[in-house]
Amino acid sequence: MQDSELMMEGFNLMLLGMGFVFVFLTVLVIATTLMSKIILQFFKGEPTPASLPATARPGALPGGQSPDLIAAITAAIHLHRQNKQQKK
Amino acid sequence: MEKILLLWENSGLYNLTFPQFIMIAICLVLLYLAIAKKFEPLLLLPIGFAGVLANVPEAGLALSAMDQALYHFNPAVMQSLAGELGVSLTAATDAANKVIIKDALAAIDDPAVYARVQYLISMAGYTDGFLYVFYKVLVASGIAPLIIFLGVGAMTDFGPLLANPRTLFLGAAAQFGIFATVLGAVGLSALGVVDFSINQAAAIGIIGGADGPTAIYVSSVLAPELLGAIAVAAYAYMALVPIVQPPIMRALTTKAERAIVMTQLRPVSKREKIIFPLAVLGLVALFLPSAAPLLGMFCLGNLMRECGVVERLSDTAQNALINIVTIFLGLAVGSRLIAELFLTRETLGIMALGIVAFAIGTATGVLMAKLMNKVSKMPINPLIGSAGVSAVPMAARVSNKLGLEANPQNFLLMHAMGPNVAGVIGSAVAAGVMIMYLG
Repeated sequence: MQDSELMMEGFNLMLLGMGFVFVFLTVLVIATTLMSKIILQFFKGEPTPASLPATARPGALPGGQSPDLIAAITAAIHLHRQNKQQKK
Repeated sequence: MEKILLLWENSGLYNLTFPQFIMIAICLVLLYLAIAKKFEPLLLLPIGFAGVLANVPEAGLALSAMDQALYHFNPAVMQSLAGELGVSLTAATDAANKVIIKDALAAIDDPAVYARVQYLISMAGYTDGFLYVFYKVLVASGIAPLIIFLGVGAMTDFGPLLANPRTLFLGAAAQFGIFATVLGAVGLSALGVVDFSINQAAAIGIIGGADGPTAIYVSSVLAPELLGAIAVAAYAYMALVPIVQPPIMRALTTKAERAIVMTQLRPVSKREKIIFPLAVLGLVALFLPSAAPLLGMFCLGNLMRECGVVERLSDTAQNALINIVTIFLGLAVGSRLIAELFLTRETLGIMALGIVAFAIGTATGVLMAKLMNKVSKMPINPLIGSAGVSAVPMAARVSNKLGLEANPQNFLLMHAMGPNVAGVIGSAVAAGVMIMYLG
């Protein structure tokens, strides 16, 4: 008699508990989705951390020269030295 | 010669009882698991050590003043107590008299009598053991688990959850393990195997939430007598997540499902991250005030992290404060590993039910993820479902590992963090429901 009462109590707790957890988290899903939508709507131009413009262009060197320019200069120097050696 | 005899009679070796010996051996095993196997060492090490201290014979470090008086059973003190309580010590043996006093103490309903009994005991020179004081101040009051929750909140990044809020359902599904275990516990006591009340069953079930502080908080409210066993089971099984979960996850999914690649998460703005803890707090206040202590501290910690103006507080909460409280919490929980509380058939039941709770939670999380994958347009890898049993971040790492096994290009870690933190919220909500229903 008392055993079946205990089982009933456990069963009730399970139904109530699982039900409540799902209802609560469903409400939270709805609230979160709404909140995100509203924020994204109102603050569209807001830069998100991931889309922040990079402060420095990738590959740029400390002096500000582009890698292409450096490559061209290096090639020119190399050519110049080779020419000099041939003349000797 | 008499002095030497006295020394011997007061030595630990002379007074060591067999149950105490067993408990010290068990605590040494906990220390071994913490040090050699790295099983949640941050907690199991202080718990194991305090467990040894609690079982040092004669020292009574984990006993209250009243329990110490009963333990020593000084005849003169006991006679005056008996006079105060209005019982007479007529039984033939000390043991029988002890039972008489114990019952009378438990039955005190007049605060004046209680105060006089306390006074008599303190006059006789008995004081609370220091581990008992830790327990009373930090755990019985619920303070330590709440501060831990503050730190966990400050460490949690809700980004992945906010990018894909539907993963909250996975956190909800995995809580089924908690309630199925409650049913299992009352089932066991209906069958007459062990004797659990509904409150005890609820406290055992929460082990399935795989969240140490939640488990300690709930059992300190609903079943303080089982706290030691429940805390040890919760932390031991959290350490076993990488062993327990994978076979279940493999059994419930096909290789093709495990190889599903999920779409990249969208970036989440700072504003959303700041408002989210406030939104959770609002919902808790509206619907479930009994979860307010746990989720309130959790949200406070998270707000400190995300708002960006209290760097110092957030840093303290996730480092210094949580470390300090972890030490004290470990000591306080270890003080519950006294032989008479721990060496019972109930403990074996708790250990067995705890692992079942874990397994069921993992399974329902995976099944829920499979269901969501069927109905939603966006692909969802069922492996992330198992991360719904909190155990942050271990469960998410397990999901990631199994995903990589099936498809070396499949990184699920960030996707699994969503259900993982959802599981923390889910188990705190489940704890709130239980406390509301039974407390």
